[in-house]
Amino acid sequence: MTTADSARALVRRGTAVTVVALLALAGVYVLALLYTPVEARQGLAQKIFYLHVPAAWSALLAFSLVGICGGLYLWLNDRRLDRFAASSAEVGVAFGVVMLTTGPIWAKPIWGTWWTWDARLTLTLFLFFLFVGYLALRAALHDPSERARFSAVVGVLGLLLVPFIHLSVYLFRTLHPQPVVLKPSAPSLPPEMLRTLMVSALVFVLLYAGLVTIRYGLAVMEEEREERFDAA
Amino acid sequence: MPPDNGGYMVAAYIVTAVILVSYAVGLWRRVSRALRQRGAP
Amino acid sequence: MPESLRLALAVAAKDIRAELRSRTALLSALVFAALVLVIFNFARDPTALAAVDLAPSVLWVTFALAAMVALNRAFTVERENGALDGLLLAPVPRGALFIGKLLANLAFVGTVEAVTLPLFVLFFNVDLGYALPGIAGVTALATIGFVAVGTIFSAMAVRTRFAELMLPVLLLPFMVPPLIGAVQVTARLLDGRPLSEMLGWFRLLALYDIVFVTLCTLAFAAVMDE
Repeated sequence: MTTADSARALVRRGTAVTVVALLALAGVYVLALLYTPVEARQGLAQKIFYLHVPAAWSALLAFSLVGICGGLYLWLNDRRLDRFAASSAEVGVAFGVVMLTTGPIWAKPIWGTWWTWDARLTLTLFLFFLFVGYLALRAALHDPSERARFSAVVGVLGLLLVPFIHLSVYLFRTLHPQPVVLKPSAPSLPPEMLRTLMVSALVFVLLYAGLVTIRYGLAVMEEEREERFDAA
Repeated sequence: MPPDNGGYMVAAYIVTAVILVSYAVGLWRRVSRALRQRGAP
Repeated sequence: MPESLRLALAVAAKDIRAELRSRTALLSALVFAALVLVIFNFARDPTALAAVDLAPSVLWVTFALAAMVALNRAFTVERENGALDGLLLAPVPRGALFIGKLLANLAFVGTVEAVTLPLFVLFFNVDLGYALPGIAGVTALATIGFVAVGTIFSAMAVRTRFAELMLPVLLLPFMVPPLIGAVQVTARLLDGRPLSEMLGWFRLLALYDIVFVTLCTLAFAAVMDE
């Protein structure tokens, strides 16, 4: 099977998974909007939680894989790891944008302010900056080996930065407790809410997998085209 | 009586769908372009 | 002295000598830092906010910007001389090369910081008093952290077309934990708080330095490979 065929097979598989995931997402919308109860104190806006949290988890998953694959690439030098990292980063940015838009839309009615430097929102912002930096560097480097190596280093360093951001915000917060208008959802959720959240999380991960597969296939196609130009 | 903030919920749900669907569609268009350039059979 | 350390110091000395010869970058960084301090002074309303409340933030923003200028000048030096190619041909272990560059950058940023601090005390009428050793300590810790990451990123950014833009885009997220820690500690030191209140931040800064200096030293080989 030529690379072009395998690329097309990947894209086909990825598209199938993505379509299923998008349909499932529509299902999650129905579930979250109609079947889960409305939180008495926070109102309808609390339901943003069923999108924001899974998006954040997926973005974090995407970025972790960028860092892990980067580290593995530096060790094993396998092109496929680099391709996967790049794909994961791009899909991760999409989830990151969801995270960064739904976050403030949720914060405004719940906390009374569009933005706050709490652990969650701060981390989402930094994750986004790290993704953007990673992709900007890749776009600016034209030698494939350099691009793979340099972005792998940024990926690994970025992944290790995440716990430090978390620690900094935690240290800061324990000394500067923030005023809240309404208390955000307590950790112990009623079962219907927890179930919806978990279903939504699974759907988001499925969507991530489908999109990354398509993107990976596209990367294979682009690399093959690059090689043909170089050979010509 | 829960607060009347349904507008925010609607906004967030719409924005999320727009972002994810646009990205998926964008990806698909790039794939079609790449297939066309290669002269897909 | 172990061979690698000697090589690192040699690399550092070469870079520092190159900088001392031209001196333009050092002077422009100092002027820039002084300018930032002056602007901050005119930007705030003296009746609304006491100088000492803003002081730590102003100081650290100035230090951070000076570090950016320092790391940027490293590009022009490399590009103009093509010095890097010469170094790569010599059998210098990549880790030692990194430490050498790190030391040179630290010398540069440290000098700017050392000159900026008295200017800061002067312009903002801050009473340093017993806080000085603490401030020197936290400055050293935080600076090592972000200059280490900055050194490896500038080596990467120099290979791109818009290096001066790429470096801040990559580096800024990494500067945040050291900067938060530094500002918090500086604020407490200037307030005369006991050291016990800042131990958490000091530990964070130290851990950051250990993790990132080690990682960047190891990763430098991947950036330098041909």
